[in-house]
Amino acid sequence: MSLLRVKNLRVTFETENGPVQAVRGVSFSLGRERLGIVGESGSGKTMTGRALLRLIRPPGRIEVDAMVFDGQDVATASERQMRALRGRRIAMVMQDPKFSLNPVMTVGAQLTEGLRQRDRLGRADARARAVAALQAVQIRDVDRVMAAFPHELSGGMGQRVMIAMMLIPEPDLLIADEPTSALDVTVQAEVLSILDRLVRDRGMGLIFISHDLRLVARFCDRVLVMYKGRIVEELAAADLMAARHPYTRGLLNCLPRIGGPRGPLPGLDRTGAWAQ
Amino acid sequence: MVALRVWLADPNPTSRRQARLGQVWLGWLRLRRNPLAMSGLVIVGLLLLVAALAPVLAPHDPLVQDLSRRLLPPLTPGNLLGTDDFGRDILSRVITGARITLYIVGLVALTAPFLGLLVGTVAGYFGGWTDAVLMRVTDIFLAFPRLILALALVAVLGPGIENAVLAIALTAWPPYARVARAETLTVRNSDYIAAVRLQGAGGARIILGHVVPTCLPSVIIRVTLDMAGVILIAAGLGFLGLGVRPPLPEWGLMISSGRKYLFEQWWVSTMPGLAIFVVSLGFNLLGDGLRDVLDPKSAPK
Amino acid sequence: MSLIDIAALSVTFRANGRTVRAVEGVSLCVQAKESYGLVGESGSGKSTILRAICGLAPVSGGAIRIGGTDLPTPRGRAFARSVQMVFQDPYASLHPRHTIDRTLSEPLAIHGIADSDARVSRALDDVGLPRSFRFRYPHQLSGGQRQRVAIARALMLEPGILLLDEPTSALDASVQAEVLNLLSRLRVERGLTFVMVSHDLAVIDHMCDRVLVMQHGRAVEELARDDLAGARMTTVYARSLFDASADRMLGDGKGPPG
Repeated sequence: MSLLRVKNLRVTFETENGPVQAVRGVSFSLGRERLGIVGESGSGKTMTGRALLRLIRPPGRIEVDAMVFDGQDVATASERQMRALRGRRIAMVMQDPKFSLNPVMTVGAQLTEGLRQRDRLGRADARARAVAALQAVQIRDVDRVMAAFPHELSGGMGQRVMIAMMLIPEPDLLIADEPTSALDVTVQAEVLSILDRLVRDRGMGLIFISHDLRLVARFCDRVLVMYKGRIVEELAAADLMAARHPYTRGLLNCLPRIGGPRGPLPGLDRTGAWAQ
Repeated sequence: MVALRVWLADPNPTSRRQARLGQVWLGWLRLRRNPLAMSGLVIVGLLLLVAALAPVLAPHDPLVQDLSRRLLPPLTPGNLLGTDDFGRDILSRVITGARITLYIVGLVALTAPFLGLLVGTVAGYFGGWTDAVLMRVTDIFLAFPRLILALALVAVLGPGIENAVLAIALTAWPPYARVARAETLTVRNSDYIAAVRLQGAGGARIILGHVVPTCLPSVIIRVTLDMAGVILIAAGLGFLGLGVRPPLPEWGLMISSGRKYLFEQWWVSTMPGLAIFVVSLGFNLLGDGLRDVLDPKSAPK
Repeated sequence: MSLIDIAALSVTFRANGRTVRAVEGVSLCVQAKESYGLVGESGSGKSTILRAICGLAPVSGGAIRIGGTDLPTPRGRAFARSVQMVFQDPYASLHPRHTIDRTLSEPLAIHGIADSDARVSRALDDVGLPRSFRFRYPHQLSGGQRQRVAIARALMLEPGILLLDEPTSALDASVQAEVLNLLSRLRVERGLTFVMVSHDLAVIDHMCDRVLVMQHGRAVEELARDDLAGARMTTVYARSLFDASADRMLGDGKGPPG
């Protein structure tokens, strides 16, 4: 059974120059698998992720034919129902832990806040769950991290804390919006492997939003390629090299490769009908 | 008219002037969408208009006394706002007083921000001892309550409208220096400053050409918001008999001389008071609107 | 004799009573017309070396020589005509209130070079921007277009050495390809020497002849391009960097890297 089903999602922003359509009719479904959404800036991938959690405020507007999560209609749910969903059943990890963690609360306080308020756990229980979550993301010096403030942590550590925080309530779906883009390359690898193991062990669905096509292809089962608010190609990650859409092929070819030829990199030909 | 609009809205301007005017035009369009800011603009515009046409608009001579017509209430035929204790028409005096208010406000707006900008940007850009010395001087000026400092300066300089303006300007510049310095500190380490330093530019070129244009919006907004305060300080000085001398119809002075009659003939003080209120409100609204136009949207992404 | 000669360079930042050793004892030489890469993760000190060359970072030890002569402090006008820099963030490296025309003609005005009108037009042509963009403001341009302006600005004084601080890391992949192609073309046309900093090994491999791997302010290993492509690095860190960033499409199937 599909975990998430989206049909004809449209996100429009009212600007001083008229309405701007960030997402123009996106449809897809997701089981308990990993779906990658790839696109450049302005492709609408982040807006799609936000729209799934109804996190778009005016002047943005969401219109969708159907948006169903595990049998529940998300498109018409009330704000109260959405709050029950967000965090608990659908979690979101964002790009830069500097901006997504509260800078004036210690890590321990942030991890236990949800547990104590929402699930009404006692202090000791909440702390035990928080410590377990940090250990699950392979943080060894747990006590120090629990007492630390976000700015005292490195980028990779902060992102692991973010993942731990999001996974404490054991959600069914995780939306990861460029979770490793702000990290160094070697740290990226570590964080991704942690994410990989956690998602696999808990049988969660994962939507991985990124601009890095090759990373997504290695990490996900299926890939959606977006351009200017539309999905231009949908394919299994293993078939990525055999992609047929000119945009996908262009994206694959325009990246430099170690050991690759030193001639000019092929650019993207934006004259096709798909580019309008 | 339409051709002018098209020219201003051209996405590919062909001269510096066109580019700059185009940006001003866009700013104007944005301001127009803010009703409060527009009302502020209307009020300030009316002030300018009234001041410009004062001799024409005033029904009576503001300085001529007519002791047979003292203290007439508002809506007396011939005296819309009544007369004061010397029989002078209050409406005419308020209208003529607009000129004096504008003179004071204009002079302060032209002098204080420049001094503040200069001190603030130099202090912020060079740092070190220059910064420390200039900021301590600024702090000294800021430590005094504005009216007291203005009083002290006027006491030294002697009464008179130019001295009042000078005194007010000397109390008004420190906040601009602070604002300018804060902006300069933010901007000083940015890449575009590094780039122009790398091209061999000297401090003067960098401060005047690169730092000041970035600080200017904050200072302009601060100036409009301060205008209300300037008017009130001028009124305060006038109220205390320093600054503008009678029989000039400065609004603060009018309030002061109507003090004796406040309970029975309330209009003598209240009318100029209302004028101060309306103009201060106008500048405040305009300043708020300008902040929306100049700051967040025209700032880079 | 090498064009750029850095010997045991150290850069130390002191702020609020804390000292940060951004660069410690790094030595390298760049030959004329060579393209030299500095690669490392954040905090490796690679960008700091570029800033030290420009005189924008406090040098606490060692020496930098260009063309055999020590660099004067402050750098001065002659330096500006031989070394220029392209910065990382195209949104921050152009003055938001100056038109492109002003940004490009300013270096000419500083150095009293006449004929600025023709030179600005030619500069726009060289970087592939339409002349109609001349009086636009930066916020009216896309990221890739702004970076082209930054490149044009760096070349206005016709320097022989171009320092590039992660010039494409803030750009989309397709735009990156265009900008890298532009840089390669300009380098060949004008016989420029590049010192390029990046965290992306693939970009460095594509653009540079030799690479210095840096970590925590120190030089770890210097590699020629062939050695990089052939994975013939000798230090553990260089190899871990290579493994984490090697083209992930080649070779094994699924699963995260590392």
